[in-house]
Amino acid sequence: MNVHTYEKVWLIGALVLIVGFIVTITYGSVGLGIAMVDDSEETIEPSELDEDERFADPRVEQVGENEYEAYVVAQTFMFQPDPVEVPAGSEVTFYVTSRDVIHSYSVAGTNINTMVIPGEVAVMTVEFDEAGEYGVVCNEYCGSGHHTMEGELHVVPDEEFDMTELSVEADDEVETGDEATIEVDVENGMLEALETTVTLEIGDEALAENVTIDGGETETTTFTVDTADLGEGDHDWTVTVDDYEDSGTLTVVDELEEDDDDE
Amino acid sequence: MSNAYIDDFPAEAKVVRTAFYSSFLALALGGVFGVIQTLHRTGYYRFIDSADYYTVLTAHGVFLVISFTIFFLVGVFTWAITTSLDRGVEDLRFTWGWYGLMAIGITLSGVAILAGFTDATDISASVLFTFYAPLQAHPMFYLGLVLFVVGTWLAGVDWFRSWWAWKAENPDERIPLPTFMVLTTMLMWYIATLGVAAAILVFLLPWSLGLVESVNPLLTRTLFWFFGHPVVYFWLMPAYMMWYIMLPKVSGGKLFSDPLARVVFVLFLILSVPTGIHHQYLDPGIAEGFKFIAMTNTMFLLLPSLLTAFTVVASMEHGARQRGGEGYFGWLKALPWRDPVFTGMALAGLMFAAAGFSGMINAGMNINYLVHNTFWVVGHFHLTVGTAVALTFMAVTYWFLPQITGKALWSRSVALGQVVLWFVGMTFMSNAMHRAGLLGVPRRTAEPQYDGFEFEAAVGTMGELQAQIALGGILLTLSLVLFFANVVGTALNGRSDDLPANEYAGTLSGPEDAPLVLDNLKLWTAIAVVLVVFAYTFPLLSIIDRGGLFGPDINPFPVSLETVHLLAFALESHVTGALESVAWLGVNR
Repeated sequence: MNVHTYEKVWLIGALVLIVGFIVTITYGSVGLGIAMVDDSEETIEPSELDEDERFADPRVEQVGENEYEAYVVAQTFMFQPDPVEVPAGSEVTFYVTSRDVIHSYSVAGTNINTMVIPGEVAVMTVEFDEAGEYGVVCNEYCGSGHHTMEGELHVVPDEEFDMTELSVEADDEVETGDEATIEVDVENGMLEALETTVTLEIGDEALAENVTIDGGETETTTFTVDTADLGEGDHDWTVTVDDYEDSGTLTVVDELEEDDDDE
Repeated sequence: MSNAYIDDFPAEAKVVRTAFYSSFLALALGGVFGVIQTLHRTGYYRFIDSADYYTVLTAHGVFLVISFTIFFLVGVFTWAITTSLDRGVEDLRFTWGWYGLMAIGITLSGVAILAGFTDATDISASVLFTFYAPLQAHPMFYLGLVLFVVGTWLAGVDWFRSWWAWKAENPDERIPLPTFMVLTTMLMWYIATLGVAAAILVFLLPWSLGLVESVNPLLTRTLFWFFGHPVVYFWLMPAYMMWYIMLPKVSGGKLFSDPLARVVFVLFLILSVPTGIHHQYLDPGIAEGFKFIAMTNTMFLLLPSLLTAFTVVASMEHGARQRGGEGYFGWLKALPWRDPVFTGMALAGLMFAAAGFSGMINAGMNINYLVHNTFWVVGHFHLTVGTAVALTFMAVTYWFLPQITGKALWSRSVALGQVVLWFVGMTFMSNAMHRAGLLGVPRRTAEPQYDGFEFEAAVGTMGELQAQIALGGILLTLSLVLFFANVVGTALNGRSDDLPANEYAGTLSGPEDAPLVLDNLKLWTAIAVVLVVFAYTFPLLSIIDRGGLFGPDINPFPVSLETVHLLAFALESHVTGALESVAWLGVNR
């Protein structure tokens, strides 16, 4: 076959270019370790996500010192959890699945981007070096409200990050002279133990207790308040643990109504 | 009496004319939906509900990339076969038969889509051009697509019949180049459409009729892309044909090399299909190895396009030098820039070069994370199908119209303005789309603005990008208006006796230089099939094994996952090796 010299040169150049591209991509995979979303996860029944260990409660979980896993569910037209909160300097593995149609989980302006196909679980491991707030969009058409499907990803500074959860159970109404109890549950979702102080402010009083909560554990602190000191009336209280706060009102009455005792 | 196509083939000219008018009707509808979309998305003018945006988007996609392109293709291919074999179609009723089937098919699909605008019926098909399950359209939508595709299959049969009849009379002759291009393109199309036919006939149509309860979304999606990538070459091949056989002629010269043109079309036949998984780089449920194979195949698919770039530019230079052009770049001035047919095609080719670069980014497996499903991709295919293909089609229309109507073109200056306006409009729109995509702005959304965050542009602003997109959209719409003015104006003209002859470009290096094996269509088809089997058998088996034929809880395929993986990795190296040798085989002859 008669091929012009210039054309031969062009042809060789073209092949070099093509091989060059393939080498570049291969370097990205092998050298830089950019793995593709693949078939490493078992399939899952979209209708049974509520019974699934990982996806019944979409959340972020700490699995190593700086390692986290995020279980995300996409559905028309929202993401759970929202926002996803992780610390800077961590490595986060996202597991994303869909409850209904095909969506995507795409963090705007980054290379965190995957299709979310019902029946499949997409896995991506991402390193977050710096703190920042990102928007998450669904970039696959999923129905008439597709454009409203959005979420957020918060990468918070390491020292500000925790997975502490606070819940308080307190008496609403007590008789003067009785003791009121305020029970504070502090859950530490991190792996490391948490040393902190639980404080209660009520009326003019301030009570504090130092606690150490092991990783993954919940510690209960019970405060008892003598209502005689408070006197009759409404008293606002506030429980504080680190940056978390819960508050309510305790009513001290002269005499409780009958039916309360019967229960 | 002149020597125009309509003089030699009056009956065929009517077929080509009807196909072109069908194509232009689709272009008009698609264009109207396009400008509605542009103005809605950018927020400049929103008169439809955002929920209806997706119906508009479906109509824009289906009318433009299915009906506009493919009706034009069947017109060009019918012209190419009859002209280059110098014989009319074998059976005119059969020809009108496939045209009718295509027309009925697209009407059914079109009605199903447009019915989405009204609540008067339950019919709708706002599932976009990709119709990914579990999104479900009315059965009429799927049925229409099937009929349309079957129509194209029969059109291919028609062209093969012409060739067989011609071959019987001319046993020792080489296949004329335009016919060769038609036949290789159709062979590619037959292989490619098996995917969409299986997706619709086995899964989506029975599912939409309620005959089966569920489908495996990853499976139907993979079958779609089995078809969805080669379909872009189906749009592109008629444009390539025009660059090879028309552009050299209007430049004033000859095609640089007939043999290399054949090599290019053979490469498209064998490499177009085993690449579809590159649309699924970010799909869970497909192993990385399969994605890697699709990536290497895709990169080798750059070869025929790079070869085309050389041949087209070389042919243009030859033409320019015949017209007295001189110097390293001075010959560019000698090209017929006042001719809309030339200028339109040259600008389309230029845009295609730009599209090639954004396409290489898309094809880069791990780079794809950054751009997948963003507005970047929309920018990319508005350069490929939206300019390389559409602008070439519009430019050659100015040559074809007199040939198939027997009437002089209404206005050459309006035509020239039209092609330039398209180029300018698309430069604004596509450039801004690419840039917006890099910020993470998604494609396929009615309102790319969110409550919780804003897109941040490193250079310029989102507002500026939106303005460029809207401006581009308006210029493109104006360009379309000029185009239709010329089509209608020409149709209203009287018959002319002074029309150019129905000719295409000669060659500098003719078919006598091309090895005979290039015309061995059976061999190339066999290689194409083998490559498809290599690239797709294991991904498909694996998807079925994982998720079941009809959905995740059914597991009817008795192939264990481990076996599939083992075999896939063993094959991976073979396939890559085979591809390289095939690519070399093609060019070394």
